[in-house]
Amino acid sequence: MISCQDFISELGNLLDEDIASEIREQLEAHLAHCNTCQVLYDSTRKTLRIVTESGSFEYPEPIAEPLVSKVMDRIRAGCELSPSKSDE
Amino acid sequence: MGFFPELDDALTAETLTTLKRNFGLAPRIYRAQLPRSDIVDAQVQLLDRLLFGKGALSRVQKEFILLAVSAENNNSYFPALHCQTLQFLGVKPEQSQQVLVDHHAADLTDSDVALLDFARRLTSNGRSFTESDVDLLRRANFNDEQILEAVLMVGLTQFLTCIQFGLGTEPDFKPRLTFPLKEVNPAVAAERQIPEPEFPGDFVSDDPDFEIVKRVRDGETDVFEELVRKHGRRVYRSLLAIIGNPEEAEDALQDAFLKAFQYLPNFEARSKFSTWLVRIAINTGLQRMRSRKDFDSLDEESEEFRPRNIQAWTDTPEEFYSREEIRRLVEREVMKLPVKYRVALILRDLEELSTEEAAAALGLSVPGLKARVLRGRLMLRESMVPYFSKAGAGKP
Repeated sequence: MISCQDFISELGNLLDEDIASEIREQLEAHLAHCNTCQVLYDSTRKTLRIVTESGSFEYPEPIAEPLVSKVMDRIRAGCELSPSKSDE
Repeated sequence: MGFFPELDDALTAETLTTLKRNFGLAPRIYRAQLPRSDIVDAQVQLLDRLLFGKGALSRVQKEFILLAVSAENNNSYFPALHCQTLQFLGVKPEQSQQVLVDHHAADLTDSDVALLDFARRLTSNGRSFTESDVDLLRRANFNDEQILEAVLMVGLTQFLTCIQFGLGTEPDFKPRLTFPLKEVNPAVAAERQIPEPEFPGDFVSDDPDFEIVKRVRDGETDVFEELVRKHGRRVYRSLLAIIGNPEEAEDALQDAFLKAFQYLPNFEARSKFSTWLVRIAINTGLQRMRSRKDFDSLDEESEEFRPRNIQAWTDTPEEFYSREEIRRLVEREVMKLPVKYRVALILRDLEELSTEEAAAALGLSVPGLKARVLRGRLMLRESMVPYFSKAGAGKP
């Protein structure tokens, strides 16, 4: 019988569906009687869906081409890297 | 090729995994010890415990000791390999080079300078070493466990150096700096030519960028534009995930592509170009963040995480909010995650890199990457409970 801690340590693989069938069966058996892990699994799965579909941290279309030009200009000019903020 | 054949089959799967996890490849020196692969296993276990594993000294301190000892031994092989590794750990190549040339001018803390003084002295003049040398480190605030690790790192580097000289192993990467030929044995040293590794011309790669990369390397600078256009989004998102500020992410994107262009001669097609590029982007982002007080390093591992706030969620939690509200919520909460979890989560769940690609990009083992992604997801879940649980949905 697996513990809640075992379940959590396999949760990532379960969410990624990267798991051997015998382990999956054990995890499902655990879920069948453990409400806490059931809720944890359900809410983490939903979190993952929300994050994946959120379109967060998108690359704004209007900046893409100007950035390509800036990079290529700097490469052609053979210029040095700009000083990073941390160096100041 | 050195004095012995170098074969991947010489290594057990476990050893190969450890090497690839830490170096991104199986270095030639380990592949050259075919007849005694059992000894290679032991060597790699030692590396894994002492150098790669968590100890009293930081990984970068230990890598710097290895560089200082190699410099003291006029060895070019290990610096070529480990400067590459250090770059993946976020150390600028210029700083690694400076540690080799003269660590006093390498922008290190006073205690790290003392540490490398100690390592070099032990290497060059171990016979005259006394307890006063150890006391110097104690006065520089090193504890005995750290000093022991320093001594062991010097010993390990000496051991490996001797193997490399004995096997005539050629560098895995083109050294940025080659040491003058060893004066002690000029006859042998003269033969130890360091060749420039060739980009494998007839190498067939499944990397979709391989052709373009090859053309850029062959001098067609302009086609680099295609790589910038194609991978800009991924680089930008990785950088935004680390830095959190769009304008700075734009600046860092330019720096990352410039570095990729500059380092392209070192790219050996052992990983996909895109993975290598994300790695450069991550290091560029980390370099910018390093001086910030609230910045938590990617290396540090923290204690076990126990999920709290176990409350049932509604069936379709998204329906209570607009798409824009959800996007803002996700971005805000993701940015609150410690950077190591945040970056892992972004690469996997937003960039949708495979586990292996994300691990390679972060220089982590697959289990290490998985642990960080899960932790990120669980922390994020917790921060979203007030918005999506049955009790809270639609209220905040």
